[in-house]
Amino acid sequence: MIRCGIIGYGFLGTRLAQALTDYRPRGLLLTALANSKGYIFSRDGFDKQSLPRDLSTHRGFKQDTPLQLIEDGLLDLIVVLTPTNVYTGNPGLTYIREALRRGIDVVTADKGPLVVAYRELISTAKSAGASLLYEATVGGGIPVFSLARHSLRGDRIRSVRGILNGTTNYILTRMHFEGLPLDLALKEAQMMGLAERDPSLDLGGIDSACKVVILANALLGMDKRLDDVYVKGITQVTSDAVMAAKEMGMTIKLVGSIEGGHLYVAPRLVRLNHPLCVHGTLNAIQFRTEVMGELTLIGKGAGESTVSALLSDIEWIIDRRAVSRVGP
Amino acid sequence: MRIRLTLGLTDRPGTLLTALEKIAINGGNIISIIHNREQLTAGYVPVSLSVEFPSHENFERARAGIEASGIPVLSTESLERNIETVLIIGSMGVEKLRSVFEGRGEVISLSYGGGSRSPYIRILFSVPADYRESLLSSLELLAEENNCLVVREEF
Repeated sequence: MIRCGIIGYGFLGTRLAQALTDYRPRGLLLTALANSKGYIFSRDGFDKQSLPRDLSTHRGFKQDTPLQLIEDGLLDLIVVLTPTNVYTGNPGLTYIREALRRGIDVVTADKGPLVVAYRELISTAKSAGASLLYEATVGGGIPVFSLARHSLRGDRIRSVRGILNGTTNYILTRMHFEGLPLDLALKEAQMMGLAERDPSLDLGGIDSACKVVILANALLGMDKRLDDVYVKGITQVTSDAVMAAKEMGMTIKLVGSIEGGHLYVAPRLVRLNHPLCVHGTLNAIQFRTEVMGELTLIGKGAGESTVSALLSDIEWIIDRRAVSRVGP
Repeated sequence: MRIRLTLGLTDRPGTLLTALEKIAINGGNIISIIHNREQLTAGYVPVSLSVEFPSHENFERARAGIEASGIPVLSTESLERNIETVLIIGSMGVEKLRSVFEGRGEVISLSYGGGSRSPYIRILFSVPADYRESLLSSLELLAEENNCLVVREEF
């Protein structure tokens, strides 16, 4: 049995715990739930009824760092859903580093650790024989990395671009269709829970830039950091400019791209019939490959759909472990 | 993409054929050949070829093949001209803009909008493919200095 722990028990953590106890993947036990204040652990695993809403009110709650679970060898797989810090990678980076060093598999939705230390983490995972999967970091539920890993295995990805941030895409969509000014569209997004109270990472293009860095390193074998991305956000975009674009059969979208070694995030004029012209909170990711040519994926970029990406990574690890038990 | 390639051929039978083979196997469609036998320089006869390639990669492979067979490629020039639109959000004088386009691109139309509250400039221009990036980069630099934002077209 694979003993799985979820570190980070916010929106995604609770949804994932519910999904895992709902359909109970074969060969996996959900044995630990942790947040920044402490954790609960059950050797026999949690079921749907025993999942707490709030960890700290659970009678087994232990006020300690989740690192203890890793250091005590109580887990075989951790799912890291910690809040993202794109500059230090922590707290997620510390948990992932320690887990991989000990040969514990890691699934994460936290972009920070990958933006700060992608190469280091991949090399640690390799030497310890552990897996590090991060499908949920880019494009929510869109299967970006698994598509590249499996379906495009024999092909060569030359460039990647996309609409990588649902919040800014929602705002720009409202500006395009309703003529709203940016501040009103932002307020609306905040009221709907689509934008953070501090929206600067989204509006400033930093969230998209992090995704561009992850895509560049993971799909194109680069070794890039956040500083390598030319970033322009949407804060200067006005409703008059969006209307001017509309008159020309175009709209303004925040596009992230990796092309010929250059990484950028910037507002772009996009024709209304362009494959990247998706609306609302949708994300779109386009690969240009050597053999296949252009391939565009469209899907929900955040929220509940991200759980689908986490489950896919977890299933992959279950399969890999089953294969390695049988032998080559 | 349409490219003009100028090759330096030795005055020996079969040299041009070798170059044409490299172009053909990389999907190049030859539009015209200009053979300047009178302009023999340093033992070479310059031959200008206009070729339509399916992609930049095909062109690069053809060029590498030609050079590998000992034929020098004296110059290459894109014959493509892009016509595209750019929006500049913010306020900027037309004189400054003119200096960016001078010698590189041609402004087809330019219009101001948004009033004094949220000004923008819409420019339709044509530019040879070779100069596109440098023109747009200069425009972005100028916009940065004037606290404006350049919104390029995504193709």
